[in-house]
Amino acid sequence: MSDAITSETGLDAASRTASGHSLAILLARALFLVAFLALWQLAVAFGYADPAFVSSPEGVARALLALAGTGDLYANLITTLIEIVLSFLLSVTLGIASALILDRSDWLNRILSPFLTAFNSMPRIALGPLFILWFGIGIASKVVLATSIGYFIMLLSTLGGLKNVDRDLLLMSRLFGASELRLFRDIRLPWALPGIFAGLRLTLIYCSAGAVIGEMIAAQSGLGVLVEAFSGRFDVASVMALMLVIAFVVMTLTALMDLAERHLLRWSKGSTNVPG
Amino acid sequence: MVSAPLVADKAKGSAPVEIAVRDVAVNFGPRLRALSGVNLTIRACEFVALIGASGCGKTTLLNVMAGLVPIAAGSVNVCKTPPRAGRRDICYILARDALLPWRSVLGNVEYGLEVSGLAREERRQRALAYLDRVGLQDYRDFYPSRLSQGMRQRTSLARAFAVARSVYLMDEPFSALDSQTKLILHNQLLDLWESSGATVVFVTHDIGEAITLADRVVVLSRLGTGITDEIEIDLARPRSAEALQADPRYHDLYRRTWTSLRESMK
Ligand SMILES: Nc1ncnc2c1ncn2[C@@H]1O[C@H](COP(=O)(O)OP(=O)(O)O)[C@@H](O)[C@H]1O
Ligand SMILES: [Mg+2]
Repeated sequence: MSDAITSETGLDAASRTASGHSLAILLARALFLVAFLALWQLAVAFGYADPAFVSSPEGVARALLALAGTGDLYANLITTLIEIVLSFLLSVTLGIASALILDRSDWLNRILSPFLTAFNSMPRIALGPLFILWFGIGIASKVVLATSIGYFIMLLSTLGGLKNVDRDLLLMSRLFGASELRLFRDIRLPWALPGIFAGLRLTLIYCSAGAVIGEMIAAQSGLGVLVEAFSGRFDVASVMALMLVIAFVVMTLTALMDLAERHLLRWSKGSTNVPG
Repeated sequence: MVSAPLVADKAKGSAPVEIAVRDVAVNFGPRLRALSGVNLTIRACEFVALIGASGCGKTTLLNVMAGLVPIAAGSVNVCKTPPRAGRRDICYILARDALLPWRSVLGNVEYGLEVSGLAREERRQRALAYLDRVGLQDYRDFYPSRLSQGMRQRTSLARAFAVARSVYLMDEPFSALDSQTKLILHNQLLDLWESSGATVVFVTHDIGEAITLADRVVVLSRLGTGITDEIEIDLARPRSAEALQADPRYHDLYRRTWTSLRESMK
């Protein structure tokens, strides 16, 4: 954009501030967080809430420090991270690949779609114990559980993204003489990209949930094991501290994806309809 | 690079036949007869405008010439061979601009060249030259969503003429534009075409547009049964869309075409 003409740089600047965070928003966020924590702390301090049930910001902070201090956290965190990353990658590759095949083959789509819907309708979390029976208490069962959820999210969002491809674009490309491969690479894939990215974000969240819940059912290591142990002892503060850790992990991974998305989908940002 | 000779008007009458439509019929399903018994001959380097009532089969006829719609009877030849979608000597400009939203203006102009297999450096040079010709050199890095409708169509024109094909089929490319923007686009299209030496079939429902651009205006019957009238547009070239507005002969031709179009709707 560096050598774009100056008469339209106004638009350029407008779209940039819209996508970036202004200082006011950041301040408001900080204010919201502080207000929430203060309310929580005060409610506990003045006896409106029982710390045995809801802990307190201070208690959660202490629990977090204690967890970080023991070194217990890291080994378990690594296990969970490996499960999340593996199941995410599997969901994404298998989901996108299946979507491409189903999109191109109408009869296969018609044959398989009731089965896919049926399997997707099952609460996979409830299958957790079975997966552990089949795949053991190691990371394999958690990866399978998380993938069984993430795969469908990826499949459906990619399929949705591929669905309403602008026929004029396909026709234009075909009329210029494009091959099927080109139609896919130049038109279908970029068209589906917003849908794919929406799917990626959800898939990550559900893979994380699948991994942690799988660990809570039965595992040797992982954040879910810690959650389960602390819950058993009614250590509310530590459970909440672990939730914060998980949220932090997922948000960090999401931020990496956002970065990729911002780059790949920059064409769809700040669209304006200039008349005439 | 962009230098083909301006085609002399007089030579066109004897130029070889580029598009030959013979007794063509097109059916959509068993009941709907879109076209029947249509004949049309277009010579090389000719600019022909097709006009006719809405739904009379203009788009269908153009699609037949592009090889997009199968014919039920008759024959169609473009450059002596039956048309086929994706042929490397035919370029079809759709009613909507069909710009790729994820490519910049330059990337879009390069697209046709890319599909045609030109090397990166060459297609960039060529695309830049054509962007220049439609006056969009300063917008090369803009995404289509940030362009006005007129600029989008100019990009589409540059993309089409950059591939330098011998036949151009256009289906109401300017119908969404206001009349001022149209005049600018007419001049740019005339400029691109005159230096290209291409044959153009241009569908429109705008009589003024047909007269401004074409060598010959062909009026199609409302029922899809072929040509009801042809009007030779013997206005001198190069033409200027604005100057023509003040030319009495332009208005004569307008009246003549308008009468003919009204007849065709009966
Ligand atoms: N794909 C199609 N399927 C069925 N009918 C069609 C199709 N395309 C066009 N038609 C019909 O053929 C006739 C001619 O259409 P068209 O060529 O689009 O007209 P025009 O471009 O002159 O307005 C119309 O009656 C239209 O409804
Ligand atoms: Mg039409």
